Amino acid sequence: MLNFMSRFAVQNCDADEYSPTRRELLRVGSLGLGALSLPQFLAHQARANTNKYAGARGFSSAKNVVMIFLQGGPSHIDIWDPKPDAPSNIRGEFKPIKTKIPGTHVSEHMPMMAETLDKVTLIRSMSYTPSGLFNHTAAIYQMLTGYPPDKVSPSGQLEPPTPADFPTAGSHIAKMRPVKDAMLPFVELPRPLQESGIIGKGGAAGFLGKAYDPYRLYQDPAEPIKLEDLALRKDIPPERLRDRFELLKGVNGSMKELEKALNQSAVDEYYGKAYDLVLSGKARDAMDLGKESNKVRDRYGRHTFGQSMLMARRLIEAGTRFVQVNWPSVANGDPEKTAWDTHAANFGPLKNLHCPKLDRSLSALLTEMDDRGLLKETLVVAVGEFGRSPRMGVSTSGNSNSPDGRDHWPYCYSAVVAGAGIARGQQYGESDATASSPKEKPVHPCDLLATIYYSLGIDPEMEIRNHLNQPRELVKGKIVEGLFA
Amino acid sequence: MRLLAAVSLVGAAMAWAEVPEKPTYLRDIAPILNKAGCTSGPCHGSAKGKNGFKLSLRGYDAQFDYEALLYDLSGRRFNRAEPAKSLMLAKPTQEVAHGGGLRFDANSDYFRTIYRWIEQGVPFGDEAKDTVQAVEVTPKDIFMAKPGEQVSVKVTARYVDGAVRDVSRDATVESSVPDVAGVDAAGAVKGERIGEATLLVRFMGKLNTIPVTVLNPAPGFAWKALPQHNFIDQAIDAKLQKLKIQPSPVVDDAGFLRRVSLDLTGQIPTADQVRAFVADATPARVKRAKLIDRLIGSPAFVDHWTVKWGDLLQSSRKYLGDKGVYAFREYIRESLAANKPYDKWAHEMLTSRGSVYDEPAANFYRVTRDAKPTMEKTTQVFLGVRMVCAQCHDHPFERWTQNQYYQMSAFFSAVGLRAGYEVGEEILFDQRADYELKHPKDGRVVKPQFLIASTGKPVAIPDDARRRDALADWLASKENPFFARAITNRVWSYFFGKGIIDPVDDIRASNPPSNPALLDALTRDFVEHGFDLQHLMRTIANSRAYQTSIVTNEWNAKDELNFSHALPRRLTAEQLMDGVALATGSRPVFPEVPQDTSAAQFPDPHVGKEGFLDVFGRPQRESSLESERRSDFSLPQALNLVNGKTISDAVADPKGRVAKIILAGKSDAAIVEDLYLAALSRLPEKDEAERGVKYLSAGSRAMRAQDLLWALLNSKGFLYIH
Repeated sequence: MLNFMSRFAVQNCDADEYSPTRRELLRVGSLGLGALSLPQFLAHQARANTNKYAGARGFSSAKNVVMIFLQGGPSHIDIWDPKPDAPSNIRGEFKPIKTKIPGTHVSEHMPMMAETLDKVTLIRSMSYTPSGLFNHTAAIYQMLTGYPPDKVSPSGQLEPPTPADFPTAGSHIAKMRPVKDAMLPFVELPRPLQESGIIGKGGAAGFLGKAYDPYRLYQDPAEPIKLEDLALRKDIPPERLRDRFELLKGVNGSMKELEKALNQSAVDEYYGKAYDLVLSGKARDAMDLGKESNKVRDRYGRHTFGQSMLMARRLIEAGTRFVQVNWPSVANGDPEKTAWDTHAANFGPLKNLHCPKLDRSLSALLTEMDDRGLLKETLVVAVGEFGRSPRMGVSTSGNSNSPDGRDHWPYCYSAVVAGAGIARGQQYGESDATASSPKEKPVHPCDLLATIYYSLGIDPEMEIRNHLNQPRELVKGKIVEGLFA
Repeated sequence: MRLLAAVSLVGAAMAWAEVPEKPTYLRDIAPILNKAGCTSGPCHGSAKGKNGFKLSLRGYDAQFDYEALLYDLSGRRFNRAEPAKSLMLAKPTQEVAHGGGLRFDANSDYFRTIYRWIEQGVPFGDEAKDTVQAVEVTPKDIFMAKPGEQVSVKVTARYVDGAVRDVSRDATVESSVPDVAGVDAAGAVKGERIGEATLLVRFMGKLNTIPVTVLNPAPGFAWKALPQHNFIDQAIDAKLQKLKIQPSPVVDDAGFLRRVSLDLTGQIPTADQVRAFVADATPARVKRAKLIDRLIGSPAFVDHWTVKWGDLLQSSRKYLGDKGVYAFREYIRESLAANKPYDKWAHEMLTSRGSVYDEPAANFYRVTRDAKPTMEKTTQVFLGVRMVCAQCHDHPFERWTQNQYYQMSAFFSAVGLRAGYEVGEEILFDQRADYELKHPKDGRVVKPQFLIASTGKPVAIPDDARRRDALADWLASKENPFFARAITNRVWSYFFGKGIIDPVDDIRASNPPSNPALLDALTRDFVEHGFDLQHLMRTIANSRAYQTSIVTNEWNAKDELNFSHALPRRLTAEQLMDGVALATGSRPVFPEVPQDTSAAQFPDPHVGKEGFLDVFGRPQRESSLESERRSDFSLPQALNLVNGKTISDAVADPKGRVAKIILAGKSDAAIVEDLYLAALSRLPEKDEAERGVKYLSAGSRAMRAQDLLWALLNSKGFLYIH
């Protein structure tokens, strides 16, 4: 681009595009990123690169991830896993319809996804047994960090996020798979994970440090986005920013000894990226949905969730590594308005509000990404923290439920995965007659997380170091190879 | 097929020369499980075991492991009639599928030892005989003249019955820096490159360390003695000379002024201070010593160290409430302003009682509240020791045991907190009954016991609720081998970016000091001067080691361990924010505090939350770990500096420095000089001045002066202490 930018340019790597250069490794060591000493870091890096999975099905098939996190706990039986032959207090009000996967039916309120299932694998055997009371936050934390929380109050509540938390998946991935271009590596939108007053638990970089937190775009993408730090300031047009950088280069350049002492630091690299981000407008453009036609925007649905999904596609196109789209509602919010947490009302909200939004947006995202070739290298995952009780009107979490309400149910639920080598048109696993537990091939949320890492070429068993420098596994889960074609 | 293989292997395994006659679990089998990795964290030593089989982490609990082997799976691990068919042999040799892969083969001595042990009826052994008392390593110190040399290490175990065995094969030898000193599978140590490393040798829960030094073989080293300012430099030079590292001379006056101002007071010097200090013709060492005296104890000094201690003691309204946090901050501030002797200060907090409003020291207990976390924090802050790992298992790299974790916690078991009379008030008291701490394993009452014996006269522990007073006596005493040493090392790290033991809050036998003589001398001096923190800082700041330049020579360019030259350190969040405010003459406004409050004066991290300070790594005070304060550099930080409000608004402030100097009608040269002094605390070099003047004269001066100040504040010269 600009001549003088060469000194800010990222060093190109010697091996594959993801392996950090020795210089970067040294830098990580000397700056003490994470709690690793350099030798530890080198050792772990070496271990992570042993490629014990080289050539295995699905390994390293993905470059990017769109994580659609349906916080609140969608009712699997009313959406993905209908049981028309179950007793009436289980099967509910909705009818099953045929899908593109022969023999697999979904709810009548998911007609567009029924036509899109030929692009995805539908997992019907998500399952785990929580220890003790396990409300939204604990379940969200486990799904996204791979670790059950260590402090849960008797009522199942967690502490707010702390620097000792395990990092959310996107933070690990943003760190281990850095983006090459000047682009935001990890974006979370349109709102944080939340249960009651606990905000962002399971959605932060924890002991990796704030540098790896997601870029939090907590705005409604259905409205124009305000971007303070990414937008050029009014008083600083591009020419002036260029002048300032030219000047900065001169100021730094005349302090040769300091430059030499800091030659292992990442300062120049990050300045170069910041400069590019502000000046190139890449991130700004990705977030400007005005650049899309009305037809495309309508296709995703003109609501917060739909437009967030469209923005996810644009961010991936622009080079973001990990996009997390959270269902735009407090996990335990009012089901009549926004939340999947349908204790107090189930069928009405699902039929009229939630399913139509999810159906339209998810099918639009999958179809569009497929048409644009993005699905080849992007793993798309749509999952919640648990499903909902097959029997209506009973309490499984200590909450009260309306007669048609359904309570939390971690023992069996569904997930949609697609792209990056995931089998197309596959149903994986099966639930029992009442969708209460998996009949076969149970998939623990940590298994799904392990498989996400694996798809990015990251060994899920690799050793990481927590805030106390204790060795931990990235995630304790089994890789579900059967998800891949 | 498999059976045949096993039989033939047994047939082949008749050379039993190396195998003990009467193996016992304690003496012979447990070391195998460690060495083969069975008890490691990722395998069966994991908190939940692996595939239904759990062993204690690195075999710290031999009884537990023995019983797990014996009784789990209804004893199927052993087949005494046909030992080779025992799962305990079939699994690690992969005769039966084993998730952990092949650990040893059927022709190994490990196999034969276990075989014979099973054959003889799996005896546990006698703890009074078979327990390892100490591990000894020869040589005690490895010195290599050049990379490429090789030394083999001999490890001997001394048992309680006096027996001594060569356990070189079974001990675990790890290098702290494998690319300096590599260790191969046979235990041979190889010098890979110039530098220093520590070998950690472990065997059956006992450990030892030996230093490895790989010297620079380049010819022509001739030690050039530099002035030694005090005993610190003697200790440092002694080691440097031995290692053939030539230290750098001291930094220039302006550089020293900026460095010492930031380190002692958290603030950059003003332009006038720079001019006056540089112009002062007094000999450098004298005027620097005077400067240090002036800074120590100044109001900015007290603010700066109040931030540090607020971090360590977790002063936050999350735990203390609005009134509590101001009370505690004021208490910390006053303690520092009065230069309260450190031992008295620690003692005062640990023995505090009463209303946290009247007796603000008692806020110390409100963060952790319960006995165990209070103990963890107390040992972490005052002894630099991490006990937290020992709650679940004996510390793998330390002598601390789970029992000690509970014995130390028992000192705090009687501490009670109850609501007071005012809103948010709490009263700290000693409970009268039912306060004994129970061990989680068997529910028995755990009596308090000190972590390590005092080197002086023993402190008696009362068997009542006042036991924490005894802990305070033991902890904050001259004879405590950890107390003074931990704070000395911690304070040192604030001036050098790393401790003599590093990390400073993870002190353990397996993390030895880089220069033991230095740490000993510094600790002794601190104790002899009555635990005087200001004296300690003064001694450090006056040393040549602290005042060295970042400029390196061919002999010390690679040294980052021995304080032979300064290493640049990024300004902390508060230093950056206050530095920008001072340099630009424009201070950001926070609704929670008065307008002229500096970042160093904020009561806690709730002021300006999620803003600039947090982006630059201000700790949330969720723990007392030093690592909670981040000093790394990141993309969000660069974005903020380049395009955020903090710098860009401040340089353009119509009441700020740039606006004022433009209105004052100064010459271009004067403006450039003023901005360099304001931002980088030095005069511009000739070429810098020329470039600056040229830039200013090429367009709108006001805007261009803003640009220049922006560039100076974004430069490494501003962002780092150097």
